[in-house]
Amino acid sequence: MWTLVLLVAFALLGAGVTGLLSFSTVASADEAEHGLACPDYPWPHDGILSSYDHASIRRGHQVYQQVCASCHSMSLISYRDLVGVAYTEEEAKAMAAEIEVVDGPNDEGEMFTRPGKLSDRLPQPYANESAARFANGGAYPPDLSLITKARHNGQNYVFALLTGYRDPPAGISIREGLHYNPYFPGGAIAMPKMLNDEAVEYEDGVPATEAQMGKDVVSFLSWAAEPEMEERKLMGFKWIFLLSLALLQAAYYRRLKWSVLKSRKLVLDVVN
Amino acid sequence: MRFGEIELQHLGFIHHLAISQRRLRSFLSNFTMADVEVVDPKKCLEESCKPKCVKPLLEYQACVKRVQGDESGHKHCTGQYFDYWQCVDKCVGPKLFAELK
Repeated sequence: MWTLVLLVAFALLGAGVTGLLSFSTVASADEAEHGLACPDYPWPHDGILSSYDHASIRRGHQVYQQVCASCHSMSLISYRDLVGVAYTEEEAKAMAAEIEVVDGPNDEGEMFTRPGKLSDRLPQPYANESAARFANGGAYPPDLSLITKARHNGQNYVFALLTGYRDPPAGISIREGLHYNPYFPGGAIAMPKMLNDEAVEYEDGVPATEAQMGKDVVSFLSWAAEPEMEERKLMGFKWIFLLSLALLQAAYYRRLKWSVLKSRKLVLDVVN
Repeated sequence: MRFGEIELQHLGFIHHLAISQRRLRSFLSNFTMADVEVVDPKKCLEESCKPKCVKPLLEYQACVKRVQGDESGHKHCTGQYFDYWQCVDKCVGPKLFAELK
């Protein structure tokens, strides 16, 4: 029995040691593997009761449409989602009508194309992932509908990534077809630098610097990933307030009912 | 109160002046907006944050010198590069959005 215990102890010790060893090899791996940690930017919608900057969302959608949509899909967003957030209904309808959508089958059994409606999703640049990879040297430009939730510290990461294209450090060479970006895990990203000063002309006249476009497009992507944020914050504030009132009431009621027991006195006395 | 001819002429003159002032201002703003070079505020702030991060920058430059002579291709300065840019990012981060709309 004791030999069994000893065997189990040794097995566990061995497992522990190999575990430690594997940790040490991970720690000595290149820090580029995790990418440079991105700073925290003070987003206007970060506060506990802050809403999105809707003018920024509108500009960000323009940046997405003109710069990003040629490679990145946003297949979970429909034109109708933009109404009341970034565009009026007429503007959104006009934007939707600019695209061609395959619909059908019609009465003759054939598929046909028609101009887009509000209920249509934003158009996809490629038919499928294979086509996307083929057109981009094997790399798949991810769908951006949820990207700020799909990456750790998403908002800050995407902004840092888009505005963080720099020359690689000494000793690092990136192969042809990839580009250096310190924030990208591994450092070598397939996407080239897309945001350049004045690549887009904003209709509200805001100067379209790289940082401005980055901020606006990330505001748009944040909204796309979390459109319910404003309602959630309002609901949270309302319910935290009401529940704290309920807590005070419950505490008072509990103490009221227990006061009978808590204020009783027991007397130990002799029986004469 | 009845406006006399002279008062009406005065009002007309003032009205014209107001319109031409507005036109002049909008003309000037078009002119100046076209003239102004857009400068990326992030690059600007990174330059201004360089003095705060001199130590990691010098470390990086020292590393670059060490790596320059290397033939093996395994030496690189990612660590020092990251330290420098982390310092710059920490400095730029809180200030950048104040420069943007």
